[in-house]
Amino acid sequence: MDRALFRITPSGAAGLILAALAFAVLPSLAGSYWLSVFTSAACFAMAAAGVSFMYARLGMVSLTQVGLMGVGGWVALRLNYAFALPFEANMVLAALATMVFGWILALPALRMRGLYLALVTLMAAGGLEIMFSTFQFPNGGAGFWGVKTGSSDPFRGPMLAQSAAGFLRYVIVMVTLGFLFIEAHRRTAPGRAWALIRRSEAAAMAAGINVTLYKKWAFGIAGLLAGASGALLAASLGLLDDGTFRSSESIMIFALSVVGGARYWLGPVIAAFLYRILPALLSTWGVNANLAYVIFGVGLLHALITAPNGIAGQIFDAARGLSTKLRGPK
Amino acid sequence: MIQIDQALVRFGGVVALNAVSASFTAPVGGIIGPNGAGKTTLMNVISGFITPKSGRVMVEGRDLLSLPPHKRAHFGLRRSFQKEQIADDLTVFENVLVQLDHRLGDGKSKRAEVARMLEVVGLSAQSDTIGAALTGFERRLTDVARCLVGAPKLIMFDEPAGGMSVEETHKLGDLILGIHALTGAQTLVIDHDVELISRICTQTLVLDFGRSIAFGPTAQVLSDPRVKAAYLGTEEVA
Repeated sequence: MDRALFRITPSGAAGLILAALAFAVLPSLAGSYWLSVFTSAACFAMAAAGVSFMYARLGMVSLTQVGLMGVGGWVALRLNYAFALPFEANMVLAALATMVFGWILALPALRMRGLYLALVTLMAAGGLEIMFSTFQFPNGGAGFWGVKTGSSDPFRGPMLAQSAAGFLRYVIVMVTLGFLFIEAHRRTAPGRAWALIRRSEAAAMAAGINVTLYKKWAFGIAGLLAGASGALLAASLGLLDDGTFRSSESIMIFALSVVGGARYWLGPVIAAFLYRILPALLSTWGVNANLAYVIFGVGLLHALITAPNGIAGQIFDAARGLSTKLRGPK
Repeated sequence: MIQIDQALVRFGGVVALNAVSASFTAPVGGIIGPNGAGKTTLMNVISGFITPKSGRVMVEGRDLLSLPPHKRAHFGLRRSFQKEQIADDLTVFENVLVQLDHRLGDGKSKRAEVARMLEVVGLSAQSDTIGAALTGFERRLTDVARCLVGAPKLIMFDEPAGGMSVEETHKLGDLILGIHALTGAQTLVIDHDVELISRICTQTLVLDFGRSIAFGPTAQVLSDPRVKAAYLGTEEVA
């Protein structure tokens, strides 16, 4: 087994400590409103991790991620009402179905690069938005679409986590696993292949890399994470609303991933903080939550002008500088 | 043996390769010619990045044109580009290991092979250095190490000495001369450095405007008046 696969870097250790702290402290501190905000933020962190990973590793811009979350959520809800499977099975199946969906989406997209790829994925997000607003999400009704008027039937959450606090812990564990899944890829053959593809597709082919396969693989992983996070969001809320999965939200999550810093694990966490926690904080403070959009804009300008590696890049650079200063010159 | 048979490439109205044929049997062969002569186009045809209108490319009896580029690499084709292609966020070791990733087999032997080739090119000490921290020459050597792993059959270097100092070029020449004994592979080198070509290449193909104007033993080819004319032009005597 590859020793490098299990090496813990300082940045990785910081991530694991943050996850452990969040697991131990966050659920006991938060009231019911903040529990739901943190849970939703954690779900979006997982989805943002998928889109960040595609951008950082392959330079591919995907503007469908939130739409894919909707696909995962839809499949999880559909399975929940159709069969008596446990939540875990529904989540895995939803993630796999979204991965396949991501692959199908990747077929035309693989021939495109840069702006054109972004446009194709955005069109897919637009298509999904229309599908969701037309057919809505299953809530226990009859037929394939499973929609009925009135209140929804209950959604079976994970057996291990029946309370809201327990579910937040459950989501934190899942998100951590999602991040570790990406990191494991980065450290092994696919990570090496993606690094070389990003450098030059011709060089990658000359090194024996099947470029199409590895690009598809990346789309699959982004889809898998989006699907799992969609299923978790569905379990958190018990029902889903088409307004959550508009194509504009996909653009937002991508932009915030750039602001956060797509190359680092902290980037998607910052993106999720800005996307879900900041507006909640603003409304708690009595400030119009739309101010968040102004802050996003400032953040994006900041990233474009001064921080190509996003806020996470700046934080890690500062930490590295501080550690060098403390250790003193060699 | 590398056999190029009547390779024809057209870009619109431009004939980039005009029925070029050559049969390289020596361990190290050279391809020279003025800018725009079609040298890199020929290399791209062999690599699979350009599909010729007609013609054939055989390496050790295998028709390469039927294979996609990455399958040619699996077969044993290696190449470096005019600009070294090293991923900045991978270490030197990983940049070489990537060439072996498609192979099934245990990681231990792959790692041992990468370590051996890094030793050959003299980069063992930089094994864990990331690509972004390398000098130009170290990047080029990493490229060379990548070409050496995985039992190559044909290695092609596109202007490997571009931007290198005299000593670096000499070291690179020595490395290329050692490839056949080390791996059994044949090597093709494109370069403008005639000194390097005449030192390391036994056979040389000269291209000009997409046509083959001379092919044979290097010394003989370099003294061919047509080759001199292609490089230096002809003097008009009034």
